[in-house]
Amino acid sequence: MTNYGLVIDQERCIGCHSCAMSCKQENNVPMGQAWNRVLTVGGDHIDTPEGSYPEDGDDGTLEMSYQPTACQHCENAPCVKVCPVNATYKREDGIVEIDYDKCIGCRYCMAACPYNARVFNWDEPQHRPEEGTGDVEERPQGVVEKCTFCSHRVEEGLDPACVVNCPADARIFGDLDDDGSTVSKYVAEYDTNRLLDEKGTDPKTYYIQGEMSPGRPWKGKELESELDEQPTPEEADDPDSEESMRRATADAVWGDD
Amino acid sequence: MSGEVTERSATSTVRSPVVSSFGTVSKVWLGHLGVLLVAGLGAWAYQLQQGLVVTGMRNVFSWGLYIMLFVMFVGLSAGGLIISSAPKFFHSDRYEGFARLGVLVSLACIIVAGLLILPDIGRPERLYQFFTSPDFRSPMVWDFGIVVLYGVLNVWYLWLLTRRDLAARGSRLAFGAEDTQAGRERDRTLLFWTAAVALPTAVMLHSVTGWIFATQVGRGDWFSPLVAPVFIAKALVSGLGLLLVVSILADRYTGFDADRDELTSLGKMLGIFLAFHVVYLLAAERLPHAWADHFGFWAITSEFLIGDSIYFWLWTGVGGAVPLVLLATPQLRKRLSVIFVAGVLAVFGTLFEGIRLVFTGYESVNIDAAPGISLGGEYAGVTTDIWATTGVYTPTVIELVVTAGIVAVGALIVTVGLRYVPLQRQTEQERYAADSGGGGCD
Ligand code: SF4
Ligand code: SF4
Ligand code: SF4
Repeated sequence: MTNYGLVIDQERCIGCHSCAMSCKQENNVPMGQAWNRVLTVGGDHIDTPEGSYPEDGDDGTLEMSYQPTACQHCENAPCVKVCPVNATYKREDGIVEIDYDKCIGCRYCMAACPYNARVFNWDEPQHRPEEGTGDVEERPQGVVEKCTFCSHRVEEGLDPACVVNCPADARIFGDLDDDGSTVSKYVAEYDTNRLLDEKGTDPKTYYIQGEMSPGRPWKGKELESELDEQPTPEEADDPDSEESMRRATADAVWGDD
Repeated sequence: MSGEVTERSATSTVRSPVVSSFGTVSKVWLGHLGVLLVAGLGAWAYQLQQGLVVTGMRNVFSWGLYIMLFVMFVGLSAGGLIISSAPKFFHSDRYEGFARLGVLVSLACIIVAGLLILPDIGRPERLYQFFTSPDFRSPMVWDFGIVVLYGVLNVWYLWLLTRRDLAARGSRLAFGAEDTQAGRERDRTLLFWTAAVALPTAVMLHSVTGWIFATQVGRGDWFSPLVAPVFIAKALVSGLGLLLVVSILADRYTGFDADRDELTSLGKMLGIFLAFHVVYLLAAERLPHAWADHFGFWAITSEFLIGDSIYFWLWTGVGGAVPLVLLATPQLRKRLSVIFVAGVLAVFGTLFEGIRLVFTGYESVNIDAAPGISLGGEYAGVTTDIWATTGVYTPTVIELVVTAGIVAVGALIVTVGLRYVPLQRQTEQERYAADSGGGGCD
């Protein structure tokens, strides 16, 4: 069976918020709401590190990283278990989704989600431009909404919008039940952690820390399973290879012109 | 049937409503409640149209006053039913004088609790989904079921307690029940069985309401096995507190006659409940954390003794320690005024216990890195942007008006009950109701 999951390489993430923006755009997320947000792990404010500057010959301890955060699509999802009317449910492919025609707006699921991944339409949703954006119908006032792993794209064989639009290739989407998929391989090979693992929600979003992975090793917008050939990290841009060095230099020069 | 009526013994007792007619004061009182009700409906209509954006709730703090008061009114509904059914279960006539008023108050409270859910729901027109598509894993479905069951049980119980008297008075509310000796005997048995069902139902009601919170891993202190027992203790304290308050008020302003000795004895019982709830259970909840978090003896002790928020102190101090001292002092606890004040404070305290519970769940978030969580609307209180890393909540005027309207429904139920339901204490009567030439109350 298919069981979709997401790997986010925090070593690759550059904190550009492209995933957050493309999510908002693709999914027609109302003003004042965010399904996907890039958090700064560090100081008290966005883009600030924690620790101290290297002063008076001391070593500095500054540290900062980024943690893009959306629905973790938990295996043991408390939001699914609390929903009194089955509006929040788990699909066959593991995606946790909301039936916006069923949701009564009780917000029990918001209380249940330890990640604060859900938002509620407190009033009539506003969009800029007014007619909305992206490929998903707007949700009405009085219901809860959240990241859907872009199920509308996945059903068409496309990777989620945030994955395709990540300029650092830090987001990799795929089938965790397929041992050959890139996500499965990375979860096996790299140091990954899951947010609030101790809560027992069994999230399907994995964060790589420590050693950097080669990221999403294919270009284009297709799901990995739609590719004719399975991508291998070797075929992808190896940052140290001569070829990619040359290309990077060319890009830089071209960019300067 | 008239033959049976005349066969009844001369000591038969028939009770009457404690308010024989609505005088000017009652009408002014009813008028006020009516105004509150209409204002509440208006505010709810406004909220339905504008959305819940007119409340103080936002994405981080997503449950507010409605749920806090739901928790409180579920607790308040315990008192009457337990005080009337516990003695019946043990075939005792103790506190008999409070049984009917108690069940009436329980009924009003559970109706208020149920109604408080309505304005909290984003799309109330879809509530039928509870029947067409329920998920039995959800504690909210369990709670929905048990609240409805408890409400129905209260209606049945109140009717069972009063139907023979209603019949004796020729009231249509008797729904065909007749005032006969045999009927009264049969009702005794039925009352025993109803009590036998009511007690576990009450225990379930408070436990399930506690489990709505206690099952949630993501909300700090909610996730504790102690929540359900604490809810039961809280229900005993606040329910009994409210029953005392209402009884004393009814005794003062209506024909209701509260037995002094029983009031004092119920007051003592409230003291015991308070001690169990605010002293014992709270200590049991706090000690392990204080012990595990600190090293030195005094550090452990002070962490254990010193509370956190203002709500904590309003609950344990004003609503716990003060009434406890009042009820524990022999010179004081016999006075009606003292019992009244203790009851009011006990109810007040549990209000803040509910408020504190909701705050502990939403005040801090598990992942609080900047910029935080989108709030989803301009915050009606005091903050500037759409991001938040902590939960802040102040109820708005709309929430207060809607809530007041719903509480007014409860007060209306009690007031109308005082007028039409025979709640009067047992008084020995000389004659049978049927012989008096049909002394119907309405
Ligand atoms: S992250 Fe939250 S909303 Fe998403 S599946 Fe888990 S509990 Fe549900
Ligand atoms: S707000 Fe909607 S999705 Fe969430 S628990 Fe209630 S009905 Fe289910
Ligand atoms: S998978 Fe789609 S819905 Fe989820 S965060 Fe990415 S863009 Fe948003």
